[in-house]
Amino acid sequence: MLDRVLNAYTEAIYDTDRDRAFQVVHDALAEGVSPEDIVFEIVSPSLEMMVKAISESDTANLAQHFLASQIGADITEEMMARFRQAPRMAGSVVIGTSQGDFHGLGKRIVAGCLKAAVIEVIDLGTNVPPERFVDEAVSRDAQVIAVSSMMVHTARSESGCLGVRRILRERRLEDRIKVVVGGAPYRFDPELYRIVQADAWAANGIAAGEIIARLIEEVQS
Amino acid sequence: MTTAVQRLADTAAGKMADRIPVFCNLLDQGARELGLPLNEYYSRGEYVAEGQLRLQKKYGYDNVWCLFYVGKEAELFGCRKIIFAEDGPPNVGEMILETYDDVYRLQVPEDVTSHPAFEETRKCLDILKREVGGKRPICAYVTASMTLPAILMGMENWLALLLSGPLDVRDELLEKCSEFFRKQVAALRNAGADIILYSNPFGSVDFLPMRMFEMLSLPWMERDLKPVGADGVVYYCGGARLIPVIDRVIERTGIGAYYLSPLESVAAGKRAIEGRALCAGVINDIRMIDWSPQEVREEVKRILAEGMPGGRFMFGTVVMPWSIPDANIRAMLEAAFEFGRLQ
Ligand code: B12
Repeated sequence: MLDRVLNAYTEAIYDTDRDRAFQVVHDALAEGVSPEDIVFEIVSPSLEMMVKAISESDTANLAQHFLASQIGADITEEMMARFRQAPRMAGSVVIGTSQGDFHGLGKRIVAGCLKAAVIEVIDLGTNVPPERFVDEAVSRDAQVIAVSSMMVHTARSESGCLGVRRILRERRLEDRIKVVVGGAPYRFDPELYRIVQADAWAANGIAAGEIIARLIEEVQS
Repeated sequence: MTTAVQRLADTAAGKMADRIPVFCNLLDQGARELGLPLNEYYSRGEYVAEGQLRLQKKYGYDNVWCLFYVGKEAELFGCRKIIFAEDGPPNVGEMILETYDDVYRLQVPEDVTSHPAFEETRKCLDILKREVGGKRPICAYVTASMTLPAILMGMENWLALLLSGPLDVRDELLEKCSEFFRKQVAALRNAGADIILYSNPFGSVDFLPMRMFEMLSLPWMERDLKPVGADGVVYYCGGARLIPVIDRVIERTGIGAYYLSPLESVAAGKRAIEGRALCAGVINDIRMIDWSPQEVREEVKRILAEGMPGGRFMFGTVVMPWSIPDANIRAMLEAAFEFGRLQ
């Protein structure tokens, strides 16, 4: 039963059919599937299936990422409101675009994928100075800071990820908070994340979810 | 001596030239040549023309640009806020379409040439035409109807409208963007532009599934291009991959040149084109910030070795980032001239 729902849901996302994806979930609920199972047996595994498909065939496109993240986040939110016990979040992430960068779509896709993985997301918006990333991460007890940039100069700037790293070092927070980066320049240069002194990067929102979940575990252990 | 215009024409026609055409897209760097901050540099067509001419002279590549920055198209449509940086390209700072009603209110300028934002482009083109017209390809950049909404309403809102919004709003917007596209192309050609870089990331299967590409991207490309013709038009997806659609685009639009993504195999691009059009092999210029001159040279050599067999091939860059060292620009061009020699 759950397998059938999982396949139908994943197919709808692949076909970029938002209405059908919601229909599949609501039909499953009506047939007695629990909200917990929808999140942990359908939405999360579906994202994992997509990670696998993408890394094997490299064919998923922006429209699919966008919908997978949006629908995944919306359904997870809807289901969590119906959980029998308040859900335990896997961890929290502070996310934003680097200072001088106003391109919010990449960040939004990543945030959606994180929400679908039951990770708490604190979205600081676009054009975020490095101090603010760190201050928010400390006050909200986040394990990861995620910095998105669409342009080369905002990715490499002293007030981007490099600035976040400098402040974390000065305030001796590097064991407690990990930094992850992404956006177009990193896709053109897979080594760039080292140059900006990040702990990791990801090429798309779905892979970002996996990597960030790993970093959260690292910090928590 | 062969002029760059002749070289490009010969190569596009499949005839042998002295060497392959070499395009280098330096934009913001013109401000550095003139010692001006970017906002001042882009405020006047005279500055941009002077910057383009100096850069071309300094490095010796084939083309010049009348493009200031892509956000200028939003300005022509009424956007009043552009955000300038000190070391990178300007960005659109306000979205002129906030609601679906705004789409219906949006007015395509009756005459784009009378807009103050176009006036500076025209001044720039006047100077370029006077100085290098007929000798060097003068390039213009125009965003396709399927992609322009990204800077009018934002990427997220455009994707949402495309994927699950009201069809009448979508079509109204596409129709206006297409009309605007055609007007811009006519105005730019009139003012002296030879090459139209037709920019369409939403015409790439990195963005949309093939089904949507067929249903939407292709028909709107036809609508953009049929009335103005594909003469001098180059297909470009903003650095996104385009090999999977080349066949369909050739068939339906007759575009005669394809500017690959730096992340695509040049050999695969040539195979997809099958000698029907000009193929541009493009260097991953974001990596040129950190490569050594020797690494740059090796990379150019590799691209040319893949692309030159069979002819109808040129070399190009994407939008060269500000922080690429001068020595790497020189190494790239030296290698392109040397390994690109034909006679
Ligand atoms: C579409 C596009 C455009 C469109 C729309 C742009 C816009 N949003 O406003 C148009 C054609 C209008 C355009 C214009 C310009 N563009 Co443009 N554009 C692109 C293109 C093709 C895709 C960018 C995009 O939006 N992708 C979709 C988003 C969702 O993907 P993404 O940001 O990469 O995010 C994904 C991953 O990277 C990852 N991710 C993102 N953030 C994060 C964060 C973390 C923590 C993690 C883990 C992962 C992660 O997950 C996301 C979802 O899967 C890229 C090239 C490319 N193939 O990437 C160039 C590109 C971004 N553009 C570029 C440039 C320069 C410009 C201009 C500045 C050109 C100019 N001189 O005017 C203008 C700016 C326009 C403006 N805003 O005013 C350059 C930037 C590099 C540079 N030189 O600095 C690029 C890389 C092209 C290139 N190689 O030169 N562009």
